[in-house]
Amino acid sequence: MDFLSDTLVLSRMQFALTAIFHMLWPILTTGMSIYLVIVEGLWLKTRNKDYYHHARFWAKLYVLNFGIGVASGIPMEFQFGTNWGPLSEAVGNFFGSVIGFEASWAFMLEAAFLGIMIFGWERVNPVIHYIATILVAFGANLSTFWILTANSWLQTPSGVELVNGEYVVQDYFQAIFNPFMWNSFLHMFFATLETSLFVIGGISAWYILKERNVQFFSRSLKIVLAAAIAVAPLQIYIGHLSGEQVYHYQPTKLAAMEAQWETIPAGETAPWSLLALPNEKAEQNDWEIQIPQGLGYILELKPTLSEPVKGLKEWPPENRPHLLGLIYYSFRIMVGIGFFFAGLMGISVIQWLRGKFSPENLQQQKWLMGGWILAAPLGYIAVESGWIVRCVGRQPWTVYNQIRTSDAASNLPSQEVLTTLLGFASVYTLLFFAALYFGRRIIIKGPNLELPTPAEVAAIKTTPGEFQPDERPLEAKR
Amino acid sequence: METLDYLLPQVWFGILALFLLLYVMLDGFDLGVGILSLTSSSEERRGILMTSLSNVWDANETWLVLMGGSLFGAFPLAYSNILQALSIPIFIMLFGFIFRAVAFEFREQANRKLFWNFAFGAGSFLAALGQGFALGGVLAGINVDADGHFIGGVWDWLSVPSVLVALTLIQGYVLIGSTYLIWRTEGSLQETHYKTARIAAITTLIGAIVITVITPIFFESARDRLLNAPLVYIFALIPIVGVLLVGLLWRSLNQKAEKMPFIWTILVFVLTFIGLALVVFPYIIPREITIYDAAADPSSLVIMIIFIGALIPVMVFYNIYQYVVFRGKIKSEHYGEV
Repeated sequence: MDFLSDTLVLSRMQFALTAIFHMLWPILTTGMSIYLVIVEGLWLKTRNKDYYHHARFWAKLYVLNFGIGVASGIPMEFQFGTNWGPLSEAVGNFFGSVIGFEASWAFMLEAAFLGIMIFGWERVNPVIHYIATILVAFGANLSTFWILTANSWLQTPSGVELVNGEYVVQDYFQAIFNPFMWNSFLHMFFATLETSLFVIGGISAWYILKERNVQFFSRSLKIVLAAAIAVAPLQIYIGHLSGEQVYHYQPTKLAAMEAQWETIPAGETAPWSLLALPNEKAEQNDWEIQIPQGLGYILELKPTLSEPVKGLKEWPPENRPHLLGLIYYSFRIMVGIGFFFAGLMGISVIQWLRGKFSPENLQQQKWLMGGWILAAPLGYIAVESGWIVRCVGRQPWTVYNQIRTSDAASNLPSQEVLTTLLGFASVYTLLFFAALYFGRRIIIKGPNLELPTPAEVAAIKTTPGEFQPDERPLEAKR
Repeated sequence: METLDYLLPQVWFGILALFLLLYVMLDGFDLGVGILSLTSSSEERRGILMTSLSNVWDANETWLVLMGGSLFGAFPLAYSNILQALSIPIFIMLFGFIFRAVAFEFREQANRKLFWNFAFGAGSFLAALGQGFALGGVLAGINVDADGHFIGGVWDWLSVPSVLVALTLIQGYVLIGSTYLIWRTEGSLQETHYKTARIAAITTLIGAIVITVITPIFFESARDRLLNAPLVYIFALIPIVGVLLVGLLWRSLNQKAEKMPFIWTILVFVLTFIGLALVVFPYIIPREITIYDAAADPSSLVIMIIFIGALIPVMVFYNIYQYVVFRGKIKSEHYGEV
């Protein structure tokens, strides 16, 4: 139990825990915001009340996620200073300013219009409300952009010069549009969207199987399926591009993802490791199942490689990533889920084309609906796995090849870090189960299809557009 | 170049002070209402209190996130030192934020609200307490070596003055929270908060007087500056204006004015803040690190003025817009919902 008195290990555990927990919530609030824009737009266009009720129903799950996302996000920002002070000092010029951009461009926009989006249905006219919904979605996804910019810069630092231990920005454009930035942003953008699509699809399928509001939920299932036709293959393609970038820019990470100990020279065939048991002490895999020529086809679409794939033994142990099994399997889990999503989408589209997607038919397809329900949590697992590959895989570096994680940590007493770590662990466990519990209740309760539209509310009330409160004295109500 | 090296950090000191002031006023009433909810006599009342914040709490808190990010980018050295030195108060605040943020939605959903009521009130209190300790800790100074790196202990922030600052800040938040509720509610609920506002006005005033008196005694760093021209005139003036403002606040409470108590309280906050900024300037960590030592490179400061500074009017605009949309008295817990 030596690690209990090791500030570095504890700070890393705390960052990992808080990041993994935080990530769970913005996935839905960024991805689902786009779905909310779609259904509200459909409502305004068709005036079909079902779409209005979709907007109101899914927004409940949205708000539930939003609060926890904010609550767990603020510690992320401040932890850079408390637990990673030396890093903050070194990278503040660029990294800190980008965190500031995220707050000024994205968070404030999202925060200011969220109130209108959630509570403002009867207070502003439908067009203004729709603009608010769009701005919330825009703000949320802008925040993905800035965070991935900041993180990508740590992975592929550029546009800066190290002066007296501080990175001074020479070229902001180059630093923002660093090599990893576009692919990383797009991969994350599609990740939140795809996860949200399959969450919405999975919950819709559950209602369909339960024979509750089948008509209503076959609508949402079709919307998310239509979106998944584009999103699922695109995500695989962008993931592939990201992998190629890792090959070029972060060879240690690629070697860890593939548990590749020996270098494969250029011109040789490169097999792809399907399953393996990496053994870090013996510097080899205890056993391995390989697909011949697989890696060659994955990286360059041909059996042999034009550039070598470096093995881990190229670097001394202190410059290699550790926890190889975690990196190796996280990567395979993420990829597997990506292909599962694409497959589920493909089968569903075939059924749709065969005319099996009417509400009555959907109820009959128990296996397909079961597949969608199974898919609902998988996106979260894929996203977390991807981040584990990204961040554990770049170790021992925090700024790749430049600042070691061991030099980045604040020198706090280990007892303090242990206390906050245990605090986060217990509070987040409580929140996780509370969120599941309340989320389950929202789903079991289901949509309120009797909810009048804002126009109907205005027609009931004497003065249109004005808020008419319950006039009884406080104590008389309820 | 010479002028830029001075001007840019000064501009950023000003922008950060503005963010912090906006935060302290806006989240101040937010946290104040949260603390007041601990004394609410009924579920209905607590519901109204939380409803009065439901659409604004997130934007209010975002000013702190903005301040944190801007400090990180504009004064990395200060960000790193302040957060390391004040890690314990910061974590107290963060855990407070977590509990109060989730309480909004969880309380709404829960059948048994007791736990989430407490999470909301106690979370608000903890957040305010952490902020008070942090403020007191910064004012008292942070131990750094010749290169400006933090070398103090993790409990250095705990001192008589920082406890006083924390208690006074909590009183100030309760005061601004009470006056906010006077503005946004009516009937018996409003009556209650006329009372809490009076009590908080007195306790805040006492705290402020004590802090003013002890500042030259405890904070050696401030003594020379405060007691010499030209600052001595300003510091003679601030307490006088302060007492005058509290008098006006008191009168508006007696007259049962609805908006003026909130406005006078805001002016008290602004005045206090100007005083604090003058004590601190040109240091960002008093007597140790100046804004010029801690500032990022001019390249970053300029870009941040464009990307953050230029957005201030826009951010202020859409914040005001949402207050306009949700104007009016809050009478029902299900404000804005059908």
